[in-house]
Amino acid sequence: MADTLTNHVSARGLRAPRFSLRQREAIEAWLFVSPTVVGFLLFFLGPLVAVVYFSLTEWNLLTQQSTFVGIDNYVDALSRNPDFWHVLRNSFVFALGLVPLNMSLALMLALALSRPFRGVVFFRTIFFAPVVTSAVAWAIVWKFLLQGEAGAVNQLLAVVGIDGPNWLREPDWAMVAVIVTRVIKMVGLNMILYIAALQAIPRDYEAAARLEGASNWQIFRMVIWPLLAPTTLVIFVITMIGSFKVFDHIYLMTGGGPENGTLVLAFYIYEQGFKFFNVGYASALAMIMFVIVLALTVVQMILRRRDMQ
Amino acid sequence: MTLTTRQTRLISRTCLTLALLVVAVPFVFPFLWMVSSGFKSATEIFGQPSLIPRVWRWQNYIEVFEYQPFARQYFNSLYIAVTVTVLTLVISSLAGYALARMRFAGAGLLMLFLLSALMVPEEVTIIPNFFLIRWMGLMDTHAPLILLPVFGSHGVMATFLMRQYFLAIPKELEEAGKMDGLSRFGIWWRVALPMSRPALAAVSIITFLFSWNLFLEPLVFISSLERFTLPLALSNFTDSYGLPLWHLQLAATSLAVVPILIVYLIAQRQIIESFALSGVKG
Amino acid sequence: MKTRLGILATSTVLFGLMAGGPVLAEDLRFTVWTGSEAHLKMLDEIAESFKQSHPDVNVQFETIPAADYTQKLTFQLAGGNPPDLGWMMEDAAPTFAAANVLMDLGPTLQAAEGYDYADYSEAAMGLWVSGETVHGVPFSTSPFMIFYNKTLFDEAEVETPLELAQKGEWNMEKFQEVAGTVKEKTGKWGFEFKDGQGYDSRIMHALMPPIRAYGGDAWANGECGFDDPEAVAAVEQLHEMVFEDKSIVPPGEQGDYFSGSSAMTINQISRASKMSEAGFDWGIAPLPSGPAGEAPVIGQAAIVVFERGGKKDLAAEFVAHMTNKENVAKMAQFFPPARKSVLESDAFTQANSIIPAEQMAHVSDAIANGKVLPSHERSPQILAAMAPKVDALWRADADVKQALEGVCAAVEPLL
Repeated sequence: MADTLTNHVSARGLRAPRFSLRQREAIEAWLFVSPTVVGFLLFFLGPLVAVVYFSLTEWNLLTQQSTFVGIDNYVDALSRNPDFWHVLRNSFVFALGLVPLNMSLALMLALALSRPFRGVVFFRTIFFAPVVTSAVAWAIVWKFLLQGEAGAVNQLLAVVGIDGPNWLREPDWAMVAVIVTRVIKMVGLNMILYIAALQAIPRDYEAAARLEGASNWQIFRMVIWPLLAPTTLVIFVITMIGSFKVFDHIYLMTGGGPENGTLVLAFYIYEQGFKFFNVGYASALAMIMFVIVLALTVVQMILRRRDMQ
Repeated sequence: MTLTTRQTRLISRTCLTLALLVVAVPFVFPFLWMVSSGFKSATEIFGQPSLIPRVWRWQNYIEVFEYQPFARQYFNSLYIAVTVTVLTLVISSLAGYALARMRFAGAGLLMLFLLSALMVPEEVTIIPNFFLIRWMGLMDTHAPLILLPVFGSHGVMATFLMRQYFLAIPKELEEAGKMDGLSRFGIWWRVALPMSRPALAAVSIITFLFSWNLFLEPLVFISSLERFTLPLALSNFTDSYGLPLWHLQLAATSLAVVPILIVYLIAQRQIIESFALSGVKG
Repeated sequence: MKTRLGILATSTVLFGLMAGGPVLAEDLRFTVWTGSEAHLKMLDEIAESFKQSHPDVNVQFETIPAADYTQKLTFQLAGGNPPDLGWMMEDAAPTFAAANVLMDLGPTLQAAEGYDYADYSEAAMGLWVSGETVHGVPFSTSPFMIFYNKTLFDEAEVETPLELAQKGEWNMEKFQEVAGTVKEKTGKWGFEFKDGQGYDSRIMHALMPPIRAYGGDAWANGECGFDDPEAVAAVEQLHEMVFEDKSIVPPGEQGDYFSGSSAMTINQISRASKMSEAGFDWGIAPLPSGPAGEAPVIGQAAIVVFERGGKKDLAAEFVAHMTNKENVAKMAQFFPPARKSVLESDAFTQANSIIPAEQMAHVSDAIANGKVLPSHERSPQILAAMAPKVDALWRADADVKQALEGVCAAVEPLL
């Protein structure tokens, strides 16, 4: 009824009833999505196609000369340039360090803060505060705090009798430092997502399990954790992608050093493309990054689907 | 002696609170240290650490504006973030509405494409985007800092958030709108948008912060000092010879962070919920 | 871009009105890394005086922060938004010259009236000339000097570098000795690398002065010199000072000279303007000599014109104007000149209001005898390849020789 009415009204508006109702709706819908589609084609899909082409050229950013070289850049990265594997390793170390640390801390905080008690808002506010802070500010401040002997962190450690390392000057410690400071910066987001998921779990489930004499751990393992699975997947994907694209944090805290110990893929792409003018090589690296992120996401989704069945 | 349930609960609560307080230290300390150091001299920052400055150097906050066009840079960040927010609201809610409520050929494919955009880090497309922006003649302007977030993966995330919210609006309300002779656009504007204030608020908050904190794009596209945005200005707080000005950098960082933090403390519930929404829906 | 569109629009409008009418006003965009008001005022005055011969030309100076200057310049050039002219640092020169983005200024300079191109010494022009092509004209040929905190030296009761230099005793050995004494007696650092950045962004500024004093060099003729015995000996001394004497500010620490935390540092005289606000007595002295005698090290910066700038001939004329005798003398108050006539004039040693003439005499000597910092067509890559190896050098337990061999292994394929 209403549909015919609209059709009638707007048909009169258009004067010529050339389109069926369904066609009209489709045209209107495409008008609605047109800004998004145009932007998507221009700033996303176009560039994504372009980066494939770029990756097959040798292209100097400064002289602006490019020649087609086929898969040379990929061969270069995978077999000739020793830096690449080192960078890839760093990226995976960063992700493997960050994702579990972030997710387990987020879950623990969420479990502690999902039920009301005095101070719960206070703590949530505090743990979330770094999320709204700019990564630049965060990195700048931590860079100061983590200085050698004069740094506040080491001064604090000295109080409890620990002789802290020169955090940002030793490759392994620098990696630890960027991972941990990044986790502190971002864990609040995952904590909130977990809290929302925990609060959506009906209390009866837990009560029922308790009646059957389940321990806290058993309740968590058998009831809560499986129910959190969808959230865990979302959090995992977000956190993992986030850990591969980390740039500002590295750029400001370590600049990829010391001894290339924190040189990760995103930073390496920037360096190759804009500092050494190797547009082609940087594009090949970008493609590799794209494939890695895509593959990890797909694998996780397949695993999850199998899990459900 | 056995403890009553109440006592055990009290003890476990206290232990929990103490543990949380310890964990909270690295979350809070950087802010306190930043603000306090913003009042110190460069020498004192590297001297014996203490949270209370020995000498309060209020002039740091004046000098911040002398070494760089900091007020201008602050304004740049502010107006860019507002522009990005408004554009994102309009564009993502239009598309989100169509995807939620209208049936059209290609909708499924479009969804799939947009979804894939969420997975792609902007580092992957930054190089071709560099040439695109150059081709458009927009280098060293604020346009890329507006266009890329609005149409990039952040804009897509906002679209999905809006779509999810529109799906939950009862269809009957729209039918009523149609009866009143409203066009699709009219329904979107008069019915759907007013009903989705929470989603709009969430998109605004997240988008504003996203733009405010953007770093890679300004780094690549902006080169002149007076067009810098805050993150860029902070990352490079030097005197006219390129000598780092630590104490002023920290004062400037405080100036950039503290207002956001105050707004956050006032509206923390709303802001936290906005992010929760984005994570679940996006 | 907006301005260019604006110019386009105005010029189209004016085109119709212009029947033998007045010449259009033209803007030249000139990128610099100084934000100092005094510098910009002087530059504006030079631009103003250009109007005598080119009444309709405006030169606009655009400040790009020094720390990121070359990177940002690259973005502008590659991004199709090139400035017409710009300052350029010595380490970037070969890269940009090799990419053919710099205009050959030779013909314009040769043709300029009263320019006296020969007044620029060959040594000073070395980096900027290849064959007949002139890629840039140095406006600042500034030697690295020792800045010392006299108050701290007095407190430690040691002779200052300047006093030692005048007695001819200012050498690398003495340098280590006084740095150690100051550290011991005052608790402050003896020496800080240039701007405290010697371990990351200013590796060359940290390593080159001692290496050259010992008679070594970074590289020559495609051969890496960092693992030569001279260079190893020089760096071993630095390493000892950092980790055994603990007199040099170590990696990851701050010991800002300008706020009084270090007794000595290395810097250029333009930085002396910062000393007026320092709360201590200070002075400048030459770099300590080494087994190879005195080896002053110079940092150079030049004015270049960009090929893609669109108004390059006009821009080249402005370079000729800016680097004529009169303007070089004017700029000498901030930027040590490469023109022999200005360098040799009393005006130069007395031009600096902050540094006494006797100390300025050391500056003149250093310019005359100094050698510019090493640079290379692939400087960005070389520095990036070096950086991780140099990081390994700055560990307390590092074997200096082995670390420097690592540096060479990383650098050699690029030379």
